[in-house]
Amino acid sequence: MALAAASGSLSYFLPAAYLAFQSTGQNVVVPSPSPTSLLFTPTPSPSPVVQSGAFTVLLLGSDDDSKFSGDHVLTQSMILVRVIPSTKQVIMLSIPRDLWVPLSTGGSYKIDGAYSYGGAGAAIATVQENFGVHVNYYIWVGLLGLIRVIDAIGGIDVVTSNPVLDDYYPLDINTKSPYGYSRIAVLAGPQHLDGVHALQYVRSRHNDLQSDFGRSRRQQQVLLAIRQKAKQLSPEDIPTLANAIGGEIKTNISIGQVGAMLPLAASFDNPDAIQQIVLASPYTRGGAPNGSLYGNWGLILPLVHRWFP
Amino acid sequence: MISRFFLAVFLAVLMLVVGVSSYLFLYGRQSKVAVAPTKPTAAEPTPHAFVLPGTLYITQSGALYSYSYGRFHQLTGEDGWMQPSLTPDGNLLIVHRSGFYSDVFEMNRYGRVLRQLTNNAAPRRSYDTGDNHWSFYPMMTADGRTVFMSYDQPKFGYEVDMGIWSMPTFGSITRGQLWSDQYAEIGYTGGDIQPIPVPGGVIFTKYDRNPDGSIIGQLWFTNRPGSFGKALTSPGEDCREPALSPGKNYIAMICTYGKQIANLVIAPYGGGSIGARQAVITDQMVAQPQWAPDGSGIAYLAPALPDAPFQLFFISSLAYFPPAPSPVPTPSVIPGGPQGTPAPSPSPSPAPTPAPVKAIQMTSSLGLDATSTLAWAP
Repeated sequence: MALAAASGSLSYFLPAAYLAFQSTGQNVVVPSPSPTSLLFTPTPSPSPVVQSGAFTVLLLGSDDDSKFSGDHVLTQSMILVRVIPSTKQVIMLSIPRDLWVPLSTGGSYKIDGAYSYGGAGAAIATVQENFGVHVNYYIWVGLLGLIRVIDAIGGIDVVTSNPVLDDYYPLDINTKSPYGYSRIAVLAGPQHLDGVHALQYVRSRHNDLQSDFGRSRRQQQVLLAIRQKAKQLSPEDIPTLANAIGGEIKTNISIGQVGAMLPLAASFDNPDAIQQIVLASPYTRGGAPNGSLYGNWGLILPLVHRWFP
Repeated sequence: MISRFFLAVFLAVLMLVVGVSSYLFLYGRQSKVAVAPTKPTAAEPTPHAFVLPGTLYITQSGALYSYSYGRFHQLTGEDGWMQPSLTPDGNLLIVHRSGFYSDVFEMNRYGRVLRQLTNNAAPRRSYDTGDNHWSFYPMMTADGRTVFMSYDQPKFGYEVDMGIWSMPTFGSITRGQLWSDQYAEIGYTGGDIQPIPVPGGVIFTKYDRNPDGSIIGQLWFTNRPGSFGKALTSPGEDCREPALSPGKNYIAMICTYGKQIANLVIAPYGGGSIGARQAVITDQMVAQPQWAPDGSGIAYLAPALPDAPFQLFFISSLAYFPPAPSPVPTPSVIPGGPQGTPAPSPSPSPAPTPAPVKAIQMTSSLGLDATSTLAWAP
């Protein structure tokens, strides 16, 4: 009897486990610090506090449409997330994709190119070297991945801050012509967003005075909405989720760790304990090559080390 | 031998049943977060002791529905219809949204298109997506001669902000007038939307920037085309989605105070200014309030459960206009009695506290469009 029940359960979870093993537990080689990182020696934290069980995740979001080949994609979104279970605090810091930095793979470029040149390992190393933080885990998600995640959890409720209008929104998903344009109008106010419209809300940057910074705020908003919705999930949802997401997400978090983090995520229920940081002016300024941004590291590093010791 | 054979068959069947049952049991324990909403006409009508007055027009998945006597009737196909509003002669103005543009139509109450008011598609030979336009939130004035709407003109390259436009009901947008100045402040906010014509001007929502760069909504009033107008609410309140009461003396709105909440707030309105705010709903993500035509309450959309699709709710006016307490009896002087000597007063009993009025959930399994206004006919 027990064996029969176990086999029934196994057949229920097996497809999910197979897909999950393909997407999770990715081996990442983080190169040793490059000589250039010495130029960006982090300011020592004034009082590093030991935070039991705390960890840092680097979230990477990419345009992975057919304009790009293989895994050589830019990370349009880079968000450092610090999770402190003991105090139930979450700190989200959006790294401007146009930030001009030395890459771990050599040379200087916009930070969104690190993943393109060397995959997740290079992206992690570049962030670690420039910001003086230690990244425990990474999660990479593509365009379709975000759509599928949100659709798989039944959509999210968001109070969109303002009408997001874009006459030149990339028409690059499910199309033979990835260089075309579409128009979008995500209207303002409380609403239930499906995956496609949530992606439009977080991806559009043309009609935003703050360009990438405004988009970063919206990305953090949607991430929090996903986290909120994920609290309603149960382990029995994993097969459906894994099937929906397929290979659109990569991470070095193992399945066991994912299982341990689910109840942790559900326990974070105080919205005031979530700190959201965007590195707009005066932390960054224009004038760097190719329209990129120079970082004001004298301000950035103390800020980062205050929240990411 | 036979008994062993039957035992083996029995055990095999038992294992099969238990295995399949385990699978189905686990499948059945999935959360219902991704269950698709029901069509309003397919949902089981819920018996309510309370029935909304008049007829409510509401949209889901691009289809227009009427709701009266507790039943939905589908008036159009799922074809991009949204944001209905009533015209003085009893028809509807409604937006038809396509992939690249949207247009305003007049429709009768049975869902038949009477005429098209705007033509916002780009010229056929244009390859510039920016040659298309959006029209949203149409509203006709009480005299029926003018239509107000949000319209994305003018545009400057990537900068697309909507303005408040009026056009003759039987004219075209080329004869229209821009009432707001969506580019007067720092642009790239989405602009000015959701106009409500009122005597002496128009109320709308203006999206503007805080000093920290974040964008907030403010109710705004302007009394003539081309004027900058004045703010009715403060930036810190972050209010949007105005709705005027049938008597035009109260305004309902959604205020977020800069957070991921959406409170239903009402305030007295008159002469281009609003008075003290009164929070009516503070524990739901409220959208698109609409006053009952008989003043009996406010309908609105909100998720019934956290992070779920939006349902229809109604809150009685008793929640925000509680009945005045009954007069306290004053002791009367007994004729012929000792003047000046107070009669022994009965021991004071505390006035009964009225039970708080709760919102009534009218639907439970729908996915109503929370970016679409509600229209409510008597």
